[in-house]
Amino acid sequence: MTDPTDTASAPLPLEGIRVCDFSWIVAGPQSTRILADLGAEVIKVENEDHLDTVRLQPGQPGPNRRGMHNNFNRNKLSITANLGHPAGRELVERLIAVSDLVVENFSPGAFARMGFPYERLRELRPDIVYLSVSGYGHEGRDSSYVTWGPTAQAVSGCTAVSGLPDQPPAGWGFSYLDHTAGYYAAVAALMALYHRSQTGEGQHVDLSQVETGMLIQGLHMLDFQVNGRPSERIGNRSRWPAVAPHGIYPCAGDDRWIAIAAEDDASWRALCGELGLPALAADERFATNDARLANEDLLDAAIASCTPEREAHELMEALQARGVPAGVVQTMEDRMERDPQLAARGFYPTASHPELGDHRFEGLPMRFSDARWRLDRGAPLLSEHTRHVATEILGYSEAEFDALVAGGAV
Amino acid sequence: MPGPLAGLTALEIGDRGEVAGKLLADAGVEVTRVEPPGGARTRHTGPFVDDRPDPDASLRFAYLNTNKRGATLDLGEPGDADRWRALVARADLVVDSTDPGALDALGLGYEALSESSPRLLWCAITPFGLTGPRRDWTTTDLVSMALGGPPMSTGYSDHDLPPIRADGEHSFWVAGEYAVAGIVAGLLQRTLTGQGQLIDVSIHEAVACTTEGAFESWEYRRRINQRQTGRHSAPDPTPPSQFLSGDGHYMQILGGGVPRRKHLYPLLLEWLDEHDAAQDLHDPVYSRALYDGEGDTAAANRHVGEVIRDFVATQPAEDLYRRGQSMHLPWGIVRWPEENLDDPHWDDRGFFVEAPVPGAEEPARYPRAGYRFTASPVEFRRPAPRLGEHNDEVFGELEDG
Repeated sequence: MTDPTDTASAPLPLEGIRVCDFSWIVAGPQSTRILADLGAEVIKVENEDHLDTVRLQPGQPGPNRRGMHNNFNRNKLSITANLGHPAGRELVERLIAVSDLVVENFSPGAFARMGFPYERLRELRPDIVYLSVSGYGHEGRDSSYVTWGPTAQAVSGCTAVSGLPDQPPAGWGFSYLDHTAGYYAAVAALMALYHRSQTGEGQHVDLSQVETGMLIQGLHMLDFQVNGRPSERIGNRSRWPAVAPHGIYPCAGDDRWIAIAAEDDASWRALCGELGLPALAADERFATNDARLANEDLLDAAIASCTPEREAHELMEALQARGVPAGVVQTMEDRMERDPQLAARGFYPTASHPELGDHRFEGLPMRFSDARWRLDRGAPLLSEHTRHVATEILGYSEAEFDALVAGGAV
Repeated sequence: MPGPLAGLTALEIGDRGEVAGKLLADAGVEVTRVEPPGGARTRHTGPFVDDRPDPDASLRFAYLNTNKRGATLDLGEPGDADRWRALVARADLVVDSTDPGALDALGLGYEALSESSPRLLWCAITPFGLTGPRRDWTTTDLVSMALGGPPMSTGYSDHDLPPIRADGEHSFWVAGEYAVAGIVAGLLQRTLTGQGQLIDVSIHEAVACTTEGAFESWEYRRRINQRQTGRHSAPDPTPPSQFLSGDGHYMQILGGGVPRRKHLYPLLLEWLDEHDAAQDLHDPVYSRALYDGEGDTAAANRHVGEVIRDFVATQPAEDLYRRGQSMHLPWGIVRWPEENLDDPHWDDRGFFVEAPVPGAEEPARYPRAGYRFTASPVEFRRPAPRLGEHNDEVFGELEDG
């Protein structure tokens, strides 16, 4: 296996694919992050009057200081153009004409109002793949509705099923569906590009963020329809498979926890051995999985009475050595500073950014035997590559580009 | 043509790659799920039709194996091992989520079988990846989620309550999503080079890069995001955003309901006035603090959020959701998954497809896909296979050459 970010030795899978990227905030940029890591030339088309809010770091000057923006937009290029100026619009249209994929995640209709309905994109590039990412999709009676990650999580059902039965929904402590909508958007873009490679045909792919969440919750919908069983919150327990113990238990220290999932009797006995609870293993209330399920509250209380004596990482190592599935509930610090697996796989490579300096980045969770993904550089400064794109890709002369600048077109 | 990946063939083996196999099969790949004679894990975990523990009536299997064919092989038997080799030789790609090294130990893995099939694309989906010191550790979804990080950010402001793993085996979903991205990228590369390769997808890494702001907080500020009830984790506390409606539903109201844009604030007040619920929010001190940076912005945010919370407590959730959205406020109703079955917006989009459920008498509505391809739509071609349903067909194709 080659080093995933070794720049010399292997090709990039998406080398030669050009993406004209109007997306902003999180969901859209997540999708083009994946494409750029895999080698696509992703050119962000930005608007200085409507900045990507993720560019802005409260308390810091300028549009280039936010760590989250740096992480999600590494490897990309940035241009700005004034679409209200004929020459600015022409530059963007020339870029679309030489792009394979156009991505945007504005509210439905906004991109068309900017002058880029799918029909216009197709005039500029007949086999273009156009990917729109929105909350409810471009078709349908509620398509004007707007989402942020938590909205989509709530409506799709992802929030309701997360949490303890006697508590409000815990939901998700971050915009899970901004991530996954981005993942599905990358998948959809790649599938459409593959379809084009086989048929020569481009298309519009209409992605709905709420639908990605509903897809993930499909099993609950089937169970409801077939068995009439409504969904519910079950905390960290497991109903399918119905196994116990299965939970997150407190460990020594402030807010430290361990996840333990003993899925069979052997794991259960090994867990009792490690926790010094031989009496529990012999107790008929816990002798079989069915018995443990019937007495799950007692079972969890017994385990939680022992685990606070143990340091979480030490207990995890000990349980894994006995073959019991167990894992520390890791903090970001744990993952970045003391996870030997992520370290060995080079999952947090470092790259430089002109204003933020050297920082680590979250990697791509895959390695290729005969290709690589890349981390060439951090996110682009706003408009950093406007001249490069105009002169090197679109064929403007230096003098023509200077005239665009002087005329306020870019 | 059904689906953007029509014309490709794949084999899927192992129990952690069902999502990847489903996304590929739904997109048109002819995926054959290869199971041991006793059946895949999900055939035995349910939920089951009528709660009857029958390997041909698992709803989980039914959902995650739409559009796949099913064949059984005992890879410890020489004849079946030969069949596996022959199937691999004919396939465009393999999705292998068996334990690291398991197929290699039998001489049936990528290393042994790619030599004679240079076009072969093989994606391994494993808990930690094919390399590294924890490669062989044992996990479940709960353990993968814990190690990957989402639970540390998810739960309740009361930290005596445990971190929460959201229900739904999300570690398999995010790993499957990434795996398909890698696979299709590998397919595109192969259209140019003619060469396949091995793609090594780590479930741990897929989960670990799916926690959003926690990364920024640590890498840029050396802060740890703290769990908060029903909203984003953050290094420091933020106002609540999840409120109970008058009819007992939860609403997810981003930022506590305070509009992000100034021009929406008067619209919100108009709505509150209709219900005599604006309290003192017409006092310009709030608007100035929220949008013009004058005075105590945090205090104004808190107070306006409390007024909205009080208002929400008097209204039906569906009304709040629809009226808020009509004003372009991102107000969300916290629905149970099955409540979306009755929302006509999804029918406008053809999101649900009614199709047979193995083991059940009545058909059900399945989610079709998370994306709508206008030229190569995702279609429901067949329900999940019964155990060994396609043995004759699949093995017969081998004999036909």
